[in-house]
Amino acid sequence: MHTRVPGRAAAPPALLFDPPAWWKVALVLLAVAIAQATIAKHLAFREAVPSFVLLLVLWYGFRTDAVAGLLFGTIAGVCEDALTGSTGAAWTISTAIVGALAGRTAGTFISESKTWLVPYAALATIARYGIYAIVIRAEGQTILLPAMHAHALLWQALYNALIAFVLLTFVPKTGVSRVGLR
Amino acid sequence: MIVAAAVALIQIEAARSGKPSFLNSTLTTVIGFFQTGASSGLDAARDALGSVVQAPRLAHDNAELEARNRALEAENVRLREAVSQQPEIAAIDRALQAEPNGIVAGTIGFDPENQSRIVTIDKGWQAGVRLDAGVINAEGVVGRVVAVEPFTSNVLLVTDAESKVPAVVQRGRWWGIATGTNTRVQLQYVSQDAQLRRGDIVVTGEGRSFHAGLPIGRVVQVFHAEGALYQAALVEPSVAFGHLGRVLVLAH
Repeated sequence: MHTRVPGRAAAPPALLFDPPAWWKVALVLLAVAIAQATIAKHLAFREAVPSFVLLLVLWYGFRTDAVAGLLFGTIAGVCEDALTGSTGAAWTISTAIVGALAGRTAGTFISESKTWLVPYAALATIARYGIYAIVIRAEGQTILLPAMHAHALLWQALYNALIAFVLLTFVPKTGVSRVGLR
Repeated sequence: MIVAAAVALIQIEAARSGKPSFLNSTLTTVIGFFQTGASSGLDAARDALGSVVQAPRLAHDNAELEARNRALEAENVRLREAVSQQPEIAAIDRALQAEPNGIVAGTIGFDPENQSRIVTIDKGWQAGVRLDAGVINAEGVVGRVVAVEPFTSNVLLVTDAESKVPAVVQRGRWWGIATGTNTRVQLQYVSQDAQLRRGDIVVTGEGRSFHAGLPIGRVVQVFHAEGALYQAALVEPSVAFGHLGRVLVLAH
């Protein structure tokens, strides 16, 4: 039985997460990676394709913490690098960092509502591409014309934000459920 | 953190050595099988969706077709023959006759994030595909193999900025380097005395990945600046990359 110590403020509510079972996430990641390499190209809008992998990493990060987000982002990034075949570790590093940031943000007001999560998805798209571009340059590879990529990148950010909005609106399970705030 | 760093280092090390890492090999092997299935499923779904969309018109057409059924029966034999010679298959067969050691492969995937012009084909080193092998289809040059896994390979399209192919303008035998611009190909480093014109056909020069004479495309714009060391030309690729299907991997 808990008793409150007189003169002391009540402790903040505990931060509890409800991460999904690892095998479920692994299956979803496999399905999403395949969809990313087969279906996403057909959904291209102004050279921008939706990034299902990034949205999954964000979703997982918001449900766990920085370490789990980092690890899941790494695995998801390896999948993308493997499917591309010539990007070295660019997607691995960029997706891992974005996953870790999402995990670090978990449990804060940002992961609380659509108002924050939707722009977060757009910003994460841009941040991830920025890290990807730095790593690609460091690997000595060519990045396409900056203007063309910037144009496609902004559309992709908008595209991902729109998908995040639709999912959060119509699929209640995609909302982040946790107890307590950081 | 340590695991993530180790994975990143493995990937970087593999990228530096130019060989796929064991992580990439394992993942692409597993995912490749699913991709093949998903790609087939997607095609079937697309066909089915097309049928549903066209259902009202098909019903109307069906009434007319019933009336013409007997005439069509007479044409049936000819149509069967036409179906057996689907353009793409027939074209690949023609290409195969020119390159008897070529490996026929199907396109099963694309660059996940659409950042580069790369496609995945359903043949890997188990089928004899080798790194840097040229890839063509009946229309011309598609690209070259940049990563080979046991059952799949990645092909860098000639429209990618990283792609560099030795090229020759057919009319005057002027040499240049064909590099990608994302949607088209640019012929660079062409001598200033070359009299390039719109419509000139550009073909491959003899190189590591391609034999000489394979069509790359047609010149649509010439960039000629006085005082410059070289001139350049924009080339419309002969291959329709929007619906890439079966391709032929050249064996060297």
